[in-house]
Amino acid sequence: MTVTEQEIAEYVGRVRAALADLPAAVREELTEDLPEHLAEVAAEADGSLLDRLGAPEAYAAELRAAAGAPVRKGWNLDQRVAAVARRIGGGLHTVDARLGPPLGYASATDFLRLLRPAWWVLRAYLAAMLVTVVSTGGSLGLLPRFGGELLAGLVMLVGFLLASIWLGRRSARLRGWRRWALHASSLVLVVFGLAGLADAEERAGYYPYDPIAVNNPYEQIRDVFVYDSEGRLVQNARLFDQNGNPIRLGYPDCLDEQDPYNANPLLRPYPYCPAQAPFAPRAPVGPSVAPVLPPLSGPSGSATPEPTTTPEPTITPEPTVGTDPGATATATPTPGATR
Amino acid sequence: MDTTQLLKGVLDLAVLAVLRDEDGYGYDILRRLREAGLEEVGDASVYGTLRRLFAAGLLTTYVVPSESGPHRKYYSLNAAGRDQLARSGKLWRSFATTMDALLDERGAAA
Repeated sequence: MTVTEQEIAEYVGRVRAALADLPAAVREELTEDLPEHLAEVAAEADGSLLDRLGAPEAYAAELRAAAGAPVRKGWNLDQRVAAVARRIGGGLHTVDARLGPPLGYASATDFLRLLRPAWWVLRAYLAAMLVTVVSTGGSLGLLPRFGGELLAGLVMLVGFLLASIWLGRRSARLRGWRRWALHASSLVLVVFGLAGLADAEERAGYYPYDPIAVNNPYEQIRDVFVYDSEGRLVQNARLFDQNGNPIRLGYPDCLDEQDPYNANPLLRPYPYCPAQAPFAPRAPVGPSVAPVLPPLSGPSGSATPEPTTTPEPTITPEPTVGTDPGATATATPTPGATR
Repeated sequence: MDTTQLLKGVLDLAVLAVLRDEDGYGYDILRRLREAGLEEVGDASVYGTLRRLFAAGLLTTYVVPSESGPHRKYYSLNAAGRDQLARSGKLWRSFATTMDALLDERGAAA
């Protein structure tokens, strides 16, 4: 006997596979004796089963017809899903080949394959940012931090980079649940990345960069009162920034008809309204020791002769400060005096 | 005309007929059919027909152990099978007579 049981089993297996669309009970009824029958056939003459009976698929078709089983007209669900998958796969293949030439490659896949290392790097960054969010409790910058530590975050990023590249180079060999786990974690990172992107976009959209702060801490200021080291109110004080530009704060709301600065209120020195000083000025220690700011060179040149007259009407209600205007008046003729 | 076309209609009757006088196993039945002149009949067709007739309750089976070679499953006609054979046989004879007459009248018979 030249036909082995192995050959019979294989032949029966292929016949049953060709009848896979039949209900299991019908298929079983049709083929339950087939191994014994084929053994008889094999025992009667020499030659392989394939030579004497033809292909198992043809045998199955003949068997199906003779047994009156339904001819293969419809597919079961598995076969239909497989057919749809095949059709989609074919369509994607066409699109792949169609998109390739405009990109300068044989197919779009060839182009995308070159971007894989870029994805490995991005994947490591996203993973580091995910750890950042988890470890710092939601705050998100552009650089990874581990528990708020930038250096630790960067070390983590480098570690993730090496791991991601190592994983990427051997991901093709992953099988089974490891492969699924890799795909699932990639999906998580992509979703996380998109969420982070949307978050950043939202923040950038709501608060565009603007040099004018919305919450100006000096908004509520109406006047500025300068006190020297002795606690005395400094009259006619001027504020400058590091560039020599005058700092204008507040607005003189105690209008004085005789005020020579009325024409341009911004030229007025501080305080605009000494009468509204928050701290009562103390008695002066010496008549002429009161420190005086140098007058503005440009605009105050015309104003310097005036101060002698102006403070006096405003100050008169307060007898204690009477000496201060006098001090300023004496100091004004020496503009070169340093503070 | 292709013999296989004709066989499709009468294979049941042919299988029942070769089992009328003597039980047989699958390959044995195929050989008898071929020896009777139905050379074009296929193994799968005979096997499938046997399975169908068995499922229809016209045949019974029994296994005969063999010292040399595989055990053989024998098919034998039961009462329903003999009844079916008688009815189908009558139908065939009447059909064949009609066909013979048709062919004789036209003078097309060989």
